[in-house]
Formats: sequence, C-alpha cells, structure tokens
Amino acid sequence: MSAQIHRAHTPGNAQSTLAAEIEEAATWLPEQAPLSTFVHHNTLHHLEDLPFEEAVVVGSKRLRTSAFQSEAAFAEHLRSGRIQRRDVEAVVDARTEQPGRLLFSGGPSVREFRGFRLRHYFEVPSGAALRWTLQEGGAGAQMASGVDELRRPAILARGPEAASLAALWSALEASAPPIRESHAPSGRWRDRLRDKTGIDTDEWVHPLLIRLSAAFLDQGVAYWRMPDREMGFLVAFRRLYGRRVGPPARWARGLPALVASQEKLGLSAEETIEWALGELGVTQGQRVDYLRDTLISLRGWAGMMKQFEHRPDRAPVEALPARLADYLAVQLILDLFAAKACARDALDHAGPLAGLPTTIPVARAERDSALVYESYLLAQLSEVPFERFLEPAVARAWLEAVASFGSIERRCLLHLAYERRHRVEVLDALAIHSRTASSRSDTASFQAIFCIDDREESTRRHLEEIEPSVETFGYAGFFGVAMDYRGLDDVRSRPLCPVVIQPAHRVSEVSASSPEHEKYMTRRRRRGVAQHASVIGSRTLVRGGLTSPFFGPLSTIPLVGRVLFPRLAHRIAHWLEELGVERPVTRLAIEADPDQDIQAAIRSGYTIDEMAGVVASALRTMGLDQSLSPLVLVVGHGSSSLNNPHEAAHDCGATGGGRGGPNARAFAAMANHPNVRAELARRGTPISQAVWFLGAYHNTCDDGMTYYDEDLVPSTHAAVLARAKKTMAAACVREAHERCRRFETAALTIAVDQALEEAEEHAVDLAQPRPEYGHATNAVCLVGRRQRTRGLFLDRRAFLVSYDPTTDPDGARLAPLLLAVGPVGAGINLEYYFSFVDPAGYGCGTKLPHNIVGLLGVMDGHASDLRTGLPWQMVEIHEPVRLLVVVEARKPVLEKILADQPGLMKLVKNGWIQFVCWDPDSPDLFVFEKGKPQPYTPESKSFPSASTSLDYYRGHREHLPPAHIGVGVRR
Amino acid sequence: MTVISSTWTTALLVALPALPFLAVLALGILRWATGKRAEERIVWAVLYAAFAGTALASALLAFQLFATERLAIEANLGDWFAIGHYHFPWRLRGDRLSLPFALFASILVGVVASFSRKYLHREEGFHRFYLLLGLFGAGVELVVLAGSLDLLFFGWEMVGLASALLIAFFHDRPKPVEHALRAFVTYRACDVGLLAAIVWMHATTGGAALDFVGPGLRWPGLVVPSEARDALIVAFLLLWASIGKSAQVPLGGWLPRAMEGPTPSSAIFYGAISVHLGPYLLLRSAPVLEAAPLAAWAVVAVGLATALHATFVGRVQSDIKSALAYASMTQLGLIFVEIGLGLHLLALAHIVGHASVRSLQILRSPSLLHDHQHLEQAMGQQLPRTGGHLEGLVPAKIQPWLYRHALERGYFDALLIDWVVEPFYRTFRALDRMESRFEIWAGGEAEAPDPTSGLDLLEQRR
Repeated sequence: MSAQIHRAHTPGNAQSTLAAEIEEAATWLPEQAPLSTFVHHNTLHHLEDLPFEEAVVVGSKRLRTSAFQSEAAFAEHLRSGRIQRRDVEAVVDARTEQPGRLLFSGGPSVREFRGFRLRHYFEVPSGAALRWTLQEGGAGAQMASGVDELRRPAILARGPEAASLAALWSALEASAPPIRESHAPSGRWRDRLRDKTGIDTDEWVHPLLIRLSAAFLDQGVAYWRMPDREMGFLVAFRRLYGRRVGPPARWARGLPALVASQEKLGLSAEETIEWALGELGVTQGQRVDYLRDTLISLRGWAGMMKQFEHRPDRAPVEALPARLADYLAVQLILDLFAAKACARDALDHAGPLAGLPTTIPVARAERDSALVYESYLLAQLSEVPFERFLEPAVARAWLEAVASFGSIERRCLLHLAYERRHRVEVLDALAIHSRTASSRSDTASFQAIFCIDDREESTRRHLEEIEPSVETFGYAGFFGVAMDYRGLDDVRSRPLCPVVIQPAHRVSEVSASSPEHEKYMTRRRRRGVAQHASVIGSRTLVRGGLTSPFFGPLSTIPLVGRVLFPRLAHRIAHWLEELGVERPVTRLAIEADPDQDIQAAIRSGYTIDEMAGVVASALRTMGLDQSLSPLVLVVGHGSSSLNNPHEAAHDCGATGGGRGGPNARAFAAMANHPNVRAELARRGTPISQAVWFLGAYHNTCDDGMTYYDEDLVPSTHAAVLARAKKTMAAACVREAHERCRRFETAALTIAVDQALEEAEEHAVDLAQPRPEYGHATNAVCLVGRRQRTRGLFLDRRAFLVSYDPTTDPDGARLAPLLLAVGPVGAGINLEYYFSFVDPAGYGCGTKLPHNIVGLLGVMDGHASDLRTGLPWQMVEIHEPVRLLVVVEARKPVLEKILADQPGLMKLVKNGWIQFVCWDPDSPDLFVFEKGKPQPYTPESKSFPSASTSLDYYRGHREHLPPAHIGVGVRR
Repeated sequence: MTVISSTWTTALLVALPALPFLAVLALGILRWATGKRAEERIVWAVLYAAFAGTALASALLAFQLFATERLAIEANLGDWFAIGHYHFPWRLRGDRLSLPFALFASILVGVVASFSRKYLHREEGFHRFYLLLGLFGAGVELVVLAGSLDLLFFGWEMVGLASALLIAFFHDRPKPVEHALRAFVTYRACDVGLLAAIVWMHATTGGAALDFVGPGLRWPGLVVPSEARDALIVAFLLLWASIGKSAQVPLGGWLPRAMEGPTPSSAIFYGAISVHLGPYLLLRSAPVLEAAPLAAWAVVAVGLATALHATFVGRVQSDIKSALAYASMTQLGLIFVEIGLGLHLLALAHIVGHASVRSLQILRSPSLLHDHQHLEQAMGQQLPRTGGHLEGLVPAKIQPWLYRHALERGYFDALLIDWVVEPFYRTFRALDRMESRFEIWAGGEAEAPDPTSGLDLLEQRR
C-alpha cells in the first residue's frame, strides 16, 4: 500500500470542497457538550428545515432509530383512553386525502378503513418469524384473535372454517404484489463486506478508535496522558502508531509503515482523507454519504471531537486542539486496513478494494406474504361481507389499502391523536379557567421571581396557595444577567447564560475580608491535597500496596454508612468537611472597573447604565415595573445529586446548564444599587426606596433554599423577610411532597412533613439513580400574565413565562422573549421526546452500566460509543408530546412576529412546537396549523376542580389533567 | 456466650452456606411457581434477611472461635455420594481464615443487596439480579468454608456462573453477552486446573481435605502429597485455577470487560469478593506451595508480572471503571506476590483492605464528575498533572512505545486471538469438514427440504 502514497494533488478549491463535505456529513453528529455543561437541545436539530413528521422518519431511517412510540404503546394508550376515538377520527380526517373515497364499491371509505386499522393492533411478523407463524402458528395465524363473535358465523357459514379461511388466503395471495427489494447496498465497505462475509470490521476498528479518542480527549481520568496530544489527534496517532514493531493484530499489519511514510511526507488530515477515499474507491458523488455513514458509525465520539473543535470554551478542564478532519483521517485509515484485511482473508482478494465486485440483490418473485398475512387478518376483522374478498378487484383494493397505510403512517397518526388529547385538555382548561381569572392587587405581601422552569410551576402554585397575597413571576433563570461567573471556590469561571449568548461581563464572588479568605483557602487546600493524594494513591502500585492493607478496612465505614444511612452519612461527611473551615462572608464584584478597556470582548462587571438596562428590561417584560411590593425575591435554581453523571442536566437551562443562584444574586444586587435606582428614576421608571430585592437559590433536588446577602437587608425589612422565608420553606415542603407522588419508592400516603426528608435522601444517596425527575413530563409553555393561570393545577408540566401584553401593544418585548423561550423550551421538550421514544438509539439507555469516560460523557461498559441523550431513569415517566406553546397576545401581533422571525416561524410552521395564540381580552384561542392561526373550539364545558393542590394530586402517580384549585385564585 | 454448645456451632456453620441457598431457592420458587413479578420489596427482603443471618452467624462463630482460643469449628454432614473409594464429603470448616472472610463477604453482599434495591428499582431484571447475587453469595460461603477442595469446587463454579450471568445482565445488547462469554470461557479454562488438582490429590493422597496438616499452621490447609513432584503439579494446577478467577496475566483481559454489568455487581465481584477468591484458594493451599518452592516462585512471578502490567495499563485508562479494574488487578498482583513469599497475614489484611476500598470506589464511580469538581475546588486549582515522574523515569524514545503498549493493554487480546483462539477454531473447523466429508461418503447427500408457501402448510396442517 505504501507504494501508492503520494502527496495528493489537491488544488485549493478541492480542500475547501472536502471541508464543506465534512461539514455537511457532520450535521448528523450529536450536538451534546461534555456532561458537566449539559444543555438540552433538539436531538434532530439539523433537520428542523423539514416538517417534524417527515424529519423523524428521515432521522429514524438514517440512524436506525424509532420515530414514534411503538404501536404496542399506542395500542395501550387507546385501551386506557389516553387516546380517544374522536381523537383518532379527527386526525384521520385532517391527514387523509379524499377521506370519503370508497376502497371499492360497497366497501368502506378510506376514512373508515384507516380508523378501523388504527383501532386494531396486532403484530405482523417478518422473515423467519413470519414463516414460523405461517407454518406453526396454529389457530392464531388463521383466525385473528379479535375476530368479532358476530363475524365468526359469517366466516364459518362458508363451510368448514379452514376451507373458508383457505379461500380467503388464496384470494388475497393471488392478488398480492411481489416483494419490492428496497435493500440498497450502503456505501461503506464495512456494510458491504459484512453482507458478503459476515465479518464486521467495525469490531476491529472501533475498540482502537474509542481508546484513542478517549485518551486524546481525556480531561483528567488517566494518570498518564497521551504523548503529543497538544499537536492534534492525527499527529498523536502517527507518533504512536508510526513506530516499528506495530500492534500484532492481524488486520493492522503494515499500519506502522504506512503511517510513518505519511508522517514523513507531512500529509495533512485533508490530504490523508483524500488519499483514503481514493483507496476505498469512493466516487465523487458518494463522498458526502460515505463520510456521513463513517462518522455516524461511531457518532458519539465523532460528535465530541466536533464539540471540542467548535466550542473549546465548553471543555471541562482543558481545551484540546481537536479537529473532526483529524479524527476522520484516522478512522478512514483504520477502516481501509480493516476492509483490505477482511477482503484478503475472507475473500482472497488482494488488489484494490474498488476491484471487489459488489453483489446487487436480485428482485425475488415471491409474493409479499407479510402483506398478505396482515390483509388476511384485517379482512377477518372488518365488516366487509366475506365473499367480497373473493373478487380479485376487491382483494387488490384491500391489499393496496393495507399496504398504503404502513406502520410509520399509522404511528404518525396515532402520535397526532395522542398529542391532540393532551392539547384539548390543556386548551379547554385555559378557556374555562379564563373566566375565573385572578385580579392583580397593589398590596402583595411580597413578590417572587422564579425561573420559567416547569419544576417551579408547583413551587409557585404552593406559594400562592399558602399565602394568597403573594405574587409570583417567571423569567428566564439567568434574569438577564449574562455573565461569566467565578465563585469563591471555583477554579475557573464559567458562562452563566443561555448557550447562544457569549457573555461580555465577568463577575466574581469575593471575600468581604481578605485575611479570613486566606485562612479559608489554606485550610481547604490542605485537605484537598490530602484527598487528592489518597485518590491517586489507591490506584497505583506502590502507594496502593502500602496503604490498602492498613487503611483499606477503614473504607467499610463510609461504605456501610453511605448505603444503609445515606442522609446521616452525608451529614457527617459534610460536617467533617466544614469542621474548622468557616466560609467567609462574600460579595459579588458586580461593578465595572472604570479603568478597563471598554472595547474588550469580556469585561469585568457591569456599568451603572448596563445594570439599569438589565433591571428595567426584566421588570418591564414581566409587567412588574409598577406596583412593586416591599420585598422582591429573585430565585435562581439548580440541582445537586450524587452518583449521577447527568447531574448538570437537572440544572438551569437558561444559565447554559449551570446553577442560577449567582444570577439571582447579581440581579438583586443590581436592583438594590443606589446608583442604579438613581439611573432608573432618571429614565422615568423609578423603584421606590421601600423596595428591597433579595437573591435566592432553590435546589430542585432536595428542595432546599439558600438566601444571599441577607446581612445587607435593611432592618425595616426584617419582619417581611422572616415571613417570606417561612412561607417559602412551607412551599418547598409541599413542593417536595408533590414531587414524591412520582417516586414509586415513596408511598402514596407519605405525610407532608416527611416529604422533605425523602427529597433530601434522593439527593445524597449513592444508590439513587433517580435523584429527581427533572423536566420529565414537560409539555406546555405558557407566555402571559400569571393572573390568568393562577389557581390552575398544571402538574409541574408547564414552563411559565411572565409577559404583560397590555403594556406591549406592538409586541416589541414579546419578540425577543419568544426568540429565547421558543428554542430553549423546544430543545428541552424534543430531547425528552427522542430519548423517550428510542431510549437506546437517541437516549443513552439505562444508567446502571454507565461508565464515565474522560470527564466527558458515559459509555456502556469499558469501550462503547459515547452515549448521548438522556438516560432512561430520567425520562421514564415522560409523555412524548411536542411542546404546546400558548402565548397571550393579539393574533395580528403574533402573526407579525412570526413573519419577521424566520427562525421562530420554522419551528412553528414545521411543527417542532405546537403554537397557540391566546387572546388577552377574551378566552379565544387560535391554534397555528402550518403557520396559520385557526380558531379553536373547546370540546368540554367543565374540568376538574379541587380546593387545594394536595386534595387533587393525593393518591395519584399518573399524569393529572389541569384542574381548578380553589384557594389558588385571588378574588 | 463464649461457649456455644457444639450442636449450635454446627448448626450456625451449616447455616452460613444454607441460608443463601434457601434464599435463592425461595426467589426461584417465587418467580417460576407464581409466574408473576414479585414485589421488589419482598425480593430484597428475602435476600437481605439471608445475608443478615449469615453475617450474624459468622460473627457469632468468629467470636466463639477467638474467645475460646479454638482453632477451628467443624461440621460433618456425611457424604453426598460415594463411588468406589471416592466419596464427596459435606464437610465445612470454620477457622481463623474462613470465618472472618465469611463475615466480611456476608456484610458486603448485604450492603450491595441494600444498594441495589434502589439502584435497580423498576429494572426488568430486578428479580434475576437478586437471584444471581444470592447464588454468588452462597457460592462464596461454600468456597470459604469448604472442608475439602471437592466442596470448594462446587462453590467456585457457582461464583463463576453468577459472575458470567451478571456481566450479561443486559442481554438485549450484544456486547455484554460477548463479554460474559469471554469471562465464562476464561473461568472454564482455568477451572480445569482446580478440577485436575482435585483428581491429582485424590490419586496421590486419597482425598483433597483441608486439615491441620502440619505444626504451626494458623488455619487448615491442603494436605501435601508425599512426592515432591506431585506437590509441584498440584501447586501449579491451583495457580492456574486462581489466575483465571483473579484476572492475572495473561488472562486478565476479561476484567475491564466485565464492567458491562450493573455498577453494584461490578463492585462486589470485581472490586471485592470474586476476584479475591484466587488468593483465598492459594492461602488455603499454602502448605502445598511451601512444599513446592518452584510453584511458590511462580506465584510470585505471576503476581509481579500482573502488578507491573496492570499498573502501566491502568495509568493510561481514561474511563473510570477500566482504571479501577486495572487498579484492582495491580493490588491482586501484589497479593499474589505476598502469598508466594509466604506473608499470609499480610495477604489476608491486603485482601480485606483492598476489597473495602475498591468496592466503595466502584460504587461511587458515577460520582466522578461531582467528585472531581469538588476536589478541584478544595485544592483551589486545576488538579496537578500526574504522570510526571513516570515520564521522567522512562526515556523519551521509549515513551510512545510504552504508552501504546499500555493503551493496547499489552496486546494480550490480539496475541490470544492469534495464538490460541484462531488455531482452536481452525482445528475444529477442519474436524467439522472431515466429519461432513465422512458423512457424505458414508450416507450419501441428503436433499434439502423444499420450502412451501404458507397456505400449503396451513392446508397440510388441517
């Protein structure tokens, strides 16, 4: 092979073509960042230009995944009433061309046939299972189990049962079309060779490629790092594998010589790829497909290389110079060696691969017996008179109707019916609840601003139930403070803002007094060094050998303690850690340094003007610029848990997968700043001196609250603060209790005051793979005034965004709000959708065998692809429906925003979200279909009601439809 | 308390393996007799109760043993069967090696059973997991308390079976099954060593009992064959048996692969108990090793080679479970060295200490990101770069070579495939071809059955 190496003749534009080809192929790679900065995103983001229903099918074919829930799951939904008959009828009507056309004269209409087909679920086996069913299946194969008792006599009337069934079978079989071979040979040699020889060359290549990629990207697990990895993946690979005395694996013989000669020639990654593609015999037209299929075969690792290339700032510890082209070059070289070895060993083919003949599957003349079988069972189930099927025209029409309504089409319609039931429940509730809407008061005892997160819906509801004079608001959890933040304990700063924003301000947490700070840091460091030494020591030869016989048995104490008494053990561990180390009082260094370069990409702190802008814009959007109460809590959120690689996935999406406490603290500091107040007064939106803002942090896993800078609160506010904290604490207890109903390990009868303990245990228990359920079950996003939804039980399934349409007639503030909320909400919702419908293909499967690699992600076992998406334990209770975004705004305002914002329009028109307009002055709702609003007619006149949330949810584990909660409404 | 009547001690001793066995039986009946999924709570309670019972019983016995300064407690339940002069004795020995070990194992299995109750909650194979965990626990108690190698072998096999089936716990994916098979094949290949040792013992000494065979023994050991040659053979066979179970060079490749199972089973098998059964067997056969110095040196050599191999390979592993697997292997290598050198008490302490550390580390391994961040914060800086002194020790020219060697895990897989697996396959394929040629020669060619259409078959059936 080495003889054929030459510096490929690559003119400049060929280089850029290849770069473009790689980029196009790489759109299929998962966009997941390292787990410590987990941000939810639409798994099929790159297909958003297609309508949702089409995109999921395209994705499922390419990635061999599921597009929708399984038919068995839908059958269960039909049985349980989760999907109702009228939902099926409505979607069939809406999605069928010529629904009234008859299949054959005297037969059912297309609409009737489809409705009938969707109501009957049975498995149609294929391949060997089908042959077995036909040969051995007995009565099940001959008479559909669900054949109506009334139909049975009609079948039997034609003589002995077997004879009539045989007649039916042969009539259908005679008219059945031959099987159409849809098996197109894939381009990759691995697929072609596997078809021919049964040998999977990826089994040779992938383990090596996984080890190399993991070692290259490793952020600090390995003790000894890969040599020369600072020079890039390809260089590091060549330095390792270009040595003589190569790896003894048979398929890789000759690899060192080739790699060494390419290194000597100084071939770039692009040149190497060009060379390898030539050797593999890939023609011009197939290049993108070949590259794409190659990348997809190990998409987790390829995707991580791409992440490091594009977002080095999101590397957990060290940004390595990764390039997808480098990775691809290595993969193609290895693929080439494996393919050649396979061709040589199994097919005795020694020449270039291109000379290897590819078999073209011959179309078989067999009848499509799966179709015949399906039609045969359906014929028995249908109400069509039995003799009709013996007419060849009828048999043909029947077969055609069955064939044209395949599994994907059926599941698509069932999915729409499933979504429709949920939509109707929510929209009906909104329409009816509008009539009892609360009023706003000018005398709120305190106000609380939360993140829009669906998990805060219940916290807000309980707060309002406990103290009806409280007002709550929802705002994206970074509170407009897009900063690069470094806490007192943090080693490096991290952005706390949505992923799409590059923060321009750096804010640090600093000690109020420096001697105390020094003492604190020294003591901590001393412990850190000891801890680090023990971690490393236990794994090495000499230190491990010296320590484990003598100190090892001490490990049984935490081992037994952590498992049998998780809360106690955690408290003791925490106490030991804090012992003698007192955290100093801190402040945020929020004010800009006046001397710094204002042109810099990232500056320290905010100017007074910028702070005033942040505060004013947030308050105005929420309709909070008038009527502020004396105390305003600003509550950020995050989640902490143990033994959970996906811990960051439970944090705040609006802070880019970080914890939003510092943002809340910064916002409060800004709003309290005297100069900011002065500036706001100058702008004509003054904040009264009687108003105090207080930042807080809500841990959604253990339902604990932390308040910041309490020592700065004026003594005049002490009483109201004490009361607010008490109310918040009570709300957190109830919120924990409501959460517990979803945990099967907690009894449904658990007392309210025990719930907090249960939640705390979930957060600190090593054995707990479900610390919290996160965004699971999210389904709705409501943008509008809280008083219209106050007192509505939304089951922690709704993002609640505060927006006051009455003060924003032209929608100037709504557009940026929707631009932020739409994609973020859709990203969370769709990631849950995909990870639920295909937990192994789109999600990362069960957590139990997960193995953290390189501080980047998880593998199954010791050498698998990097598993992206969400683990099953996080999504198992989810309902896969697209986000129902209801916006309180006038119809023309919304239409104009959509027309002006193509990105938003794409989501709405292609149906990645369900979009609804809610008129501010009436209960009227308009559902957008293909980008056009259509008036919505409620189906029901009433909906459940209860006096408190507890009364409503107590004793239930399942999803609960919206309900009217008496005490929540303020009259 | 100090003097429990001998009937009671016998009963307690028998209860140690019997309780887990009964638990397995109960779980089996619960599953197959009712045909339903039993409640997780009940499944857990059955197993937890059994191991709480064994922990209590072994604690009582150990207390009794040390308080009365007795050396061993024995339970003889007669023979299972006897053929000619061979008989299979039901004989258990509780002594200063086995009782602490049994206590330790019971506690760990109980802890893991408790852990798994939440960890495996809602998992399809919940019941299966507990059944296999029980089987493993029962096997361990038998290995530990067996009064002869015959009985030990019985437990040894159960441990191997449970281990392989738990690696394949997620059997809907191909990889776990593949890796389970790899472990199983390794176990079986090495079990031959134990079996052959038993046969050899019976042939030369008329039995394979564990007794106080010489003066100054702390615990019962294997009877030493009178001929030095026989002792050497038996010692080598036992070493061979323990190489597989304890993932020593060159057969340790299955250990990182075994991490495909659920985390708690990985912890108890490959961090704690199962991998330490090899050294346990060697501790039991210490008199034979002493009688065969060559074999003792071989134990040292295998251990040293493993420790060196694993420490290098482990240092480049970038996933936490492989890193821990190789860290385990490193310490196991050292334990082998200690046994080979006759440092039995140190080896015992090393086993217990290492098992405690490692099982906690594996159970906690999903916290790596959390712990790493925490550690960085405590140190107030990015964690210091490791591997510096290694890079200083190894000449720069050799570094890439050594690194690749470690990254490819010593090439043991490729070598095993080329030198063992492939020749094995080739031989059997050749035999297969010969056989079919012989069949054709002997009986003529048979005609393949004609595939018929579905309906024909339907009609034929009527």
